[in-house]
Amino acid sequence: MKSGIVSAEKLFKSYGDQVAVDGLSFGINRGETFGLLGPNGAGKTTTISMLVGLLKPDSGEVTIRRDQNGNDVGSPLLPEFRRMVGIAPQQLSLYDDLTAKENLNFFGQLYGLSGQQLDKRVDWALEFAKLTDRKNDRVGTYSGGMKRRINIAVALVHEPEIILLDEPTVGVDPQSRNHIFDCIEQLQSKGITVLYTTHYMEEAQRLCDRVAIMDHGKLLALDTVMGLVEKHGGRSVVSGELGQRPEQISFPGSVDDDLKFRFESNTPLDEVASLSSQGVQFQTLSVTKPDLESVFLTLTGRSLRD
Amino acid sequence: MRIFSMAMKDLKVLFRDKMGAFFIIGFPILMGLFFGLVMGGEPGSGGSAKMKVAVVDNDQSEFSKQFVESLQANESVTIETDDLDSAKNSVRTGSRVAVLVIEPGFGKTAGLFWETPPTIKIGVDQSRTAESAMLQGYVMESIGQLASVRLQDVTELTGFVNDAQKDLAEDTEISMANRMVVSAFLTSMESMATNFGKLQTNEELSSGAGQLGGGGGFDFVNLEPMNVNREVDPNSVGGQLKKLKSRWDISFPQAIMWGVLSCVAGFSISIARERSMGTMTRLQVAPVSKLEILLGKALACFITVIFVAIMMTGLGMLLGMKPDSIPMLVIATTSVAICFVGIMMVMSLLGKTEQSVSGAGWAVNMVMAMLGGCMIPVMFMPGFMQQLSYISPIRWAILSLEGAIWREFSIGEMFLPCSILLLVGVVGLAIGTTMLSRDE
Repeated sequence: MKSGIVSAEKLFKSYGDQVAVDGLSFGINRGETFGLLGPNGAGKTTTISMLVGLLKPDSGEVTIRRDQNGNDVGSPLLPEFRRMVGIAPQQLSLYDDLTAKENLNFFGQLYGLSGQQLDKRVDWALEFAKLTDRKNDRVGTYSGGMKRRINIAVALVHEPEIILLDEPTVGVDPQSRNHIFDCIEQLQSKGITVLYTTHYMEEAQRLCDRVAIMDHGKLLALDTVMGLVEKHGGRSVVSGELGQRPEQISFPGSVDDDLKFRFESNTPLDEVASLSSQGVQFQTLSVTKPDLESVFLTLTGRSLRD
Repeated sequence: MRIFSMAMKDLKVLFRDKMGAFFIIGFPILMGLFFGLVMGGEPGSGGSAKMKVAVVDNDQSEFSKQFVESLQANESVTIETDDLDSAKNSVRTGSRVAVLVIEPGFGKTAGLFWETPPTIKIGVDQSRTAESAMLQGYVMESIGQLASVRLQDVTELTGFVNDAQKDLAEDTEISMANRMVVSAFLTSMESMATNFGKLQTNEELSSGAGQLGGGGGFDFVNLEPMNVNREVDPNSVGGQLKKLKSRWDISFPQAIMWGVLSCVAGFSISIARERSMGTMTRLQVAPVSKLEILLGKALACFITVIFVAIMMTGLGMLLGMKPDSIPMLVIATTSVAICFVGIMMVMSLLGKTEQSVSGAGWAVNMVMAMLGGCMIPVMFMPGFMQQLSYISPIRWAILSLEGAIWREFSIGEMFLPCSILLLVGVVGLAIGTTMLSRDE
């Protein structure tokens, strides 16, 4: 059983009349990758800002536990708890006029690193971001993907126990995105707790142990990806084209004049096998399993990308 | 340690921005040189400021040549002989200040007070009347030296007395009383001329050649050097300018302040820039207090201001500026740095974006600069503007720097401007910290 390392209790934050976060409560277990999934404007960044102490909640509380037993509990505003957290903000947060090494050195020093320890961590972070050969180039000369990687590396230079990645793949090419995924999986293997916000459901599905789905500042559902799909994803969709119109059997879905069909099923493969044994000929066949997109659709009535 | 790290990072970022570095290093040098060259006519500005005068000698006598030599000996004047047309043309086109035309017959009467004064025509550049007035003084001085030489010529003086006595004897219309008076005067002059001869003989015999008095057997007069310049009010522009040793004395304090203002402008946008770059998020998430963030910026700004002051002082000294007191200059510079670091703190929080902070910052800077004497030295401003200038910290900053460079301030005199600067700095730091701590 993993112990909780971050706890958010009934967080509420508004800007004037606009409610950004509305009574949000969740806990993040030590060593897990926790996803915050929601469309733009759902309140993910505001939530992260409250978790790291950048924003003060109007009400509610954030606590961080330093020990496994949960006795050493404190606010993210306290320096000793801040040292446990690293953040890679959605907006690139780097000094373009400094080199990658200088950026890492500077932020490492802010967290109290110095001497050989600092050098060692900077070298590790450069290697992590696969930027060792470009370490003395100014960040301003990097590609978007390289900047994203160094943005994450800076968050890790002081060896935090918790890393918050706010939409780390925004504006990144597929190759760099895959590299970032590799980096995160590397962190997971080291047992680092990751809080990952995204509006790409396939990222949450690939990387996260548990996912909290947010919309309009509210928590709609929280579970493992499998659990969410089972609870809220609905049935699989079977579609395709038939060889001939079925005459003497009961077909589960509609078939149009072009012999194209579509039906939903909890056991799609069994149902297809049964139809086939009854003489139904399938020219093409497609089975679409429910995913987080369909979970979000079920929960909100609209798509994640609306 | 973290404050130092932040300061070093800010300095790196600042100096890697070529435009920012230019405004902090290049701009004040340009301003210093510009204002220094504009003030080229100030006292002690060196040999290059000698006034050029053309002389047309139409007399070509021994005494006209002596007169020209006497003018040439004057360190403030460069004499160039020329023909009349060329000389007039050079004054008209501004390459010379004036032309002096020595008319024929100059040598016969110049320096002889009993003769009709000789005529010297002078043509001046109307735009340089002050220098022309000085030239007239130098001409009178040279004529006086010529008179001194001719008065000591015994043969000439005796000849004059003999001729006069002869004329007196031949004049039948003069009354008896007047004849006796004039005769007595001429006898006295003859006696004086004879004694000049003795004096010259004694001088030749003794080693004190060239002395008018204090020699061997005859004391004609005991001459002592005396400053006959008119006393000048030390608070007047003229009085203040008298203290200047170099044209750079005024321009470099101004230039230092332009550099300081560039530092203030450069660093005041750094907090807004941290926001726009997103790095403020990292700073605020790190175990660093807002006060430490501000102090890091303050330290970077302080170091840069001190650097600019040292650089400009060094450059000024290379060009001829001679600070009266280096310790006073250190005190003044430190006070200036603290003051403008405080001002930078407040300015940096005047807006959320780089554009708004930069715009507001330069607007405030320009008003302070105009009022404080960065553009026109305060001493040249009208009275009410001089009073108004006291509200600008730049006025106090320049005053403290000038106090150390050429105003010969004592510690007591330095206390007022420096304490005002320090007060502004501390208040600025306090306001800046309060504003940032309220900022979310």
